[in-house]
Amino acid sequence: GASSSSAQNRNNAILVSHRQKGNPLLKHIRNVRWAFADVVCDYMLGQQSCALYLSIRYHLLHPDYLYFRIRELGKNFKLRVVLCHIDVEDVVKPLLEVTRTALLHDCTLLCGWSLEECGRYLETIKVYENKPADIIQGQMDTDYLSRLSHALTSVRHVNKTDVVTLGSTFGSLSHIMDASMEDLARCPGIGERKVKRLYDTFHEPFKRTV
Amino acid sequence: MVQFHENIIADLLEEPSAGGGLVVLSSGLALHKLIAGFLHLHDTYEGTLLILSASPSQKHSILTSLNPNPNNESTKSPSEITSDLPAHQRLSLYSSGNAFFITSRILIVDLLTRRLPTSTVAGIILLNAHSLSETCTEAFIVRILRSSNKNLYVRAFSDKPHAMVSGFAKAERTLKCLYLRKLHLWPRFQVYVSEELERDPPEVVDIRVPMSAYMVGIQKAVIEVMDACLKEMRKTNKVDVEDLTVENGLFKSFDEIVRRQLDPIWHTLGKKTKQLVSDLKTLRKLLDYLVRYDAVTYLKYLDSLRASESFRSVWIFAESSYKIFEYAKRRVYHFGRSKGESLTTQDKSVKSKKRKLDYSNEDKEDSVAINGNSSVILEEVLEEAPKWKVLREILEEIEAEREKQATSIDECVVESDQNNNNNNSYNGMVLVACKDEHSCVQLEECITSNPNKVMRGEWEKYLLSKVQLHALPKRNKKKTQNQNPKGFGVLDGAIPLTPTKGAETSSIITQEHNALLEIATEINKRTQKVVEFVQDPPNNVISKGRGDKGNKKKATLKKKTDTSPIKESEKLPVLKKHVEGSDGNFKKIPPVHFYAYESGQQILDVLKPCVIIVYHPDIAFVREIEIYKAENPSKKVKVYFLFYETSTEVQKFEASIRRENGAFESLIRQKSMMIMPVDQNYGIGQNMETESPSKQNMVTRKAGGQKEGLKEMQVIVDMREFMSSLPNVLHQKGMNIIPVTLEVGDYILSPQICVERKSIQDLFSSFASGRLFHQAEMMVRYYRIPVLLIEFSQDKSFSFQSTSEISDDVTPHNIISKLSLLALHFPRLRIVWSRSLHATAEIFASLKLNQDEPDEAKATRVGVPSEEGIVEDDVRAENYNTSAVEFLRRLPGVTDANYRTIMDGCSSLADLALVPVERLAELMGGQKSAKILRDFLDAKYPTLV
Repeated sequence: GASSSSAQNRNNAILVSHRQKGNPLLKHIRNVRWAFADVVCDYMLGQQSCALYLSIRYHLLHPDYLYFRIRELGKNFKLRVVLCHIDVEDVVKPLLEVTRTALLHDCTLLCGWSLEECGRYLETIKVYENKPADIIQGQMDTDYLSRLSHALTSVRHVNKTDVVTLGSTFGSLSHIMDASMEDLARCPGIGERKVKRLYDTFHEPFKRTV
Repeated sequence: MVQFHENIIADLLEEPSAGGGLVVLSSGLALHKLIAGFLHLHDTYEGTLLILSASPSQKHSILTSLNPNPNNESTKSPSEITSDLPAHQRLSLYSSGNAFFITSRILIVDLLTRRLPTSTVAGIILLNAHSLSETCTEAFIVRILRSSNKNLYVRAFSDKPHAMVSGFAKAERTLKCLYLRKLHLWPRFQVYVSEELERDPPEVVDIRVPMSAYMVGIQKAVIEVMDACLKEMRKTNKVDVEDLTVENGLFKSFDEIVRRQLDPIWHTLGKKTKQLVSDLKTLRKLLDYLVRYDAVTYLKYLDSLRASESFRSVWIFAESSYKIFEYAKRRVYHFGRSKGESLTTQDKSVKSKKRKLDYSNEDKEDSVAINGNSSVILEEVLEEAPKWKVLREILEEIEAEREKQATSIDECVVESDQNNNNNNSYNGMVLVACKDEHSCVQLEECITSNPNKVMRGEWEKYLLSKVQLHALPKRNKKKTQNQNPKGFGVLDGAIPLTPTKGAETSSIITQEHNALLEIATEINKRTQKVVEFVQDPPNNVISKGRGDKGNKKKATLKKKTDTSPIKESEKLPVLKKHVEGSDGNFKKIPPVHFYAYESGQQILDVLKPCVIIVYHPDIAFVREIEIYKAENPSKKVKVYFLFYETSTEVQKFEASIRRENGAFESLIRQKSMMIMPVDQNYGIGQNMETESPSKQNMVTRKAGGQKEGLKEMQVIVDMREFMSSLPNVLHQKGMNIIPVTLEVGDYILSPQICVERKSIQDLFSSFASGRLFHQAEMMVRYYRIPVLLIEFSQDKSFSFQSTSEISDDVTPHNIISKLSLLALHFPRLRIVWSRSLHATAEIFASLKLNQDEPDEAKATRVGVPSEEGIVEDDVRAENYNTSAVEFLRRLPGVTDANYRTIMDGCSSLADLALVPVERLAELMGGQKSAKILRDFLDAKYPTLV
């Protein structure tokens, strides 16, 4: 009954440390539920992920703060995020210190330039807790044109209009790959440079003989 | 050699102690001859001379002006140092005292690995100085060489003055980064230059050709749309209003102007602004192509454009854009109902012949019935480019004049030699100069055969590509419709040109489409018959036909592009034969040679023409003619300029002169205000200053607790990273750079720390391609501290997006989502955020504290598949056709596991295009992936229309 649903609530919500009370960042967590709880990190985002929030302005006043907070975390989390709010202009030196501390103490540093952005990181990590990686694995649209475009635009300066021109002129990719320089040069919009790049890409051997 | 070249050389040689200088001269003033002059003066006892950053065409022109006869191998001709040469051979070349072309990437690697004894280098000639920046590799090279070789000279050149004034105090910054003090300016209006070139100028005939009514209409419409886009751009308040003029918009450099202002805030711009930038670029091309392409090719380009432009593009839906498409079509064909009930009013001003299609046969009647009872007429217009006719007339006139002169000379054969000479010079080659190869081929066809035939040829090809492409989707219709309506893509359906006109319009479009296909099918049948007649029908009849045509073209092209001075007598008969073979109603024309600026060859000195027809006026080529005339004062040279009247072509030509003069005026001002210390060791002194504090810093830090004491910090850098400026900046910081080829990571800071560096642009694109995911996977596998370095650019904003761009909810395409997902999947991956190159160097130095130095041999072995064994050569990356490898890896069915075996089995992509599926299965280790790849390669491209 009540206890299991509240446990479920707790699983679906970001648990926020009482330390964060009054942080205006909380206003920007809107897509995910959150609740205050006794947690050692600032934001508990999942079974094994947590985040510490750090404003650069605060860091300038208390340079040791981050180190002590990281040390408290213990080894229970797989993903330990230091969420750094870039809220000063002259950022190079303090950011270097934060970077070094996070890196050497096994934390992943994420930077946000506004509270909205910081809030969005927290929301996203929570929402994507169990999401597969396919959107960053390059599995783009699988239709023919997207794939053709993907391949041909790897040649420098070739744009999408050129892909259409090449496709409609030669009829298939194998014919494009086999085209002579002269035939390539007859395509509108494909100038000398592109002709040479395309031709070399297709005809120069993969491995140059040494 | 022209006199002012000698002046330039003397100027540079006068001050040996200054160690060289930067020369900026007007475009077209034969920079290659100037360089050849320097190479002539070079002597091996001085030491080796290295020529950096020469483009392939520049190399070619320099070599031709040094040695006009390629059969005579001259010792003065510089050869090229490439990565193909083994290290020991490169070393012996470096010490030979000769001159060499070399790329900055090879040179910097050989300098860093100390393969190049710096004392053997006499000097550097650097071309294209306008593309240098403070942290570029060329500056890196000069710094290293200068620091150990105080006698080195550096002579830098640019013939793109407008590029020398882009950005703040560019000339001064360029001088500083090369440790130079002296700027030499040689504009066309410089007194020595103008005196010499105007002493005996060529005879000039300026011909203004009126454009056809439709061309005028298209130009007007494009400018209207352009103006509308510029107005929108002004509203964004992101770009300086003064720069936003149509005149600026005509130049490629407009993109640079806009990008330079927008780059710092690019990631905070809305989609609309970005779209405007790309739309303006598209519109500029449309203006350019209007005067360059024939009507059919122009229409074909518009078709491609319409199919590929995103729905977001502002211009394509602008009201005037409708006119662009409509007029472009009407230059080619006219579509309407018969019985006078035409859909579009006929324009009487089009003079070209109209031919009605023969609708008498049964096929056609069928189609008419399908099209809904009222008969439909598709009339071919095939408007010829107005300049074609004028070109023809000029050539005929030249020939007529020659004949007249010849007869008059015949009459007074006894007269002096003078007349004879005159006659000889006047009978030389006629040169027609165009912008591109495509125009050359086409004009040659127009001259040797009939312009109408040329248009017809283009038109048939245009239609054929439609019917050929149309074949497959029809066959597969059921499949594609059921499974994946998007499958064959956006292009399959007609793209609504006129979204406002509703159902009636769409039926008209369908009818028009059908009518086009009808004619295409006819032509196709004809072609097929011809091909069948010639040989057994091959797999793909149409493409075969096209291939044949291509071969023919190849033959003519070869003739043309070959600059090796074939005896002219060999050339003349070929062209004359064409002339004789052409339609009888044409008058005789003189032998003509067609030349494309794009090819970058020095045609004037080879062909020695006496009549030059500048078909596409270009300021650089005009100067080349002037120089040619100045060098051959006894030769009579007559030049015809062909401009389209009141076209952007004229406007652009005139603006390019104004722009260059403006650039020089600005450079002259800058030069007068430059503060260059008189101290001759300025360069090296400054070098020490910037380097020493960090070096000391590092030493004291290290001395703190480290055992190795005074040893320099080492960073292992992937060879490919030398395209970027970071290695230079790290070296400036006092780190020792070890260039190698890395399979995993870009920078190895210690045995534990491996860094993959991404600029913001790279970050976005490598997320999209999945490359970053793969790279993270590899780094995590092999290193204890894998690092993703996100490096912002100093002059761009330090953030991903503006607050207004953050949507209300979590969306998968946002960069935040992608980074979060990366962090979730690779919790061990460390992310470093760097404000700039220099901040990165600080971060690297800081991360290396308390870490061991990296091991070069170990780093190069990481991630290399065991069957490949040990890395054999240091410049392995150079030994691959990287662009082909990248292309291959993007093909469906190709994976990280099988791409190497494919490369072992096929020599090139062209080779791969022909490999049968069975063999692919062997190479790829599976039927399935082989079939996916083969099907993709052979898939018919979906139809346009």
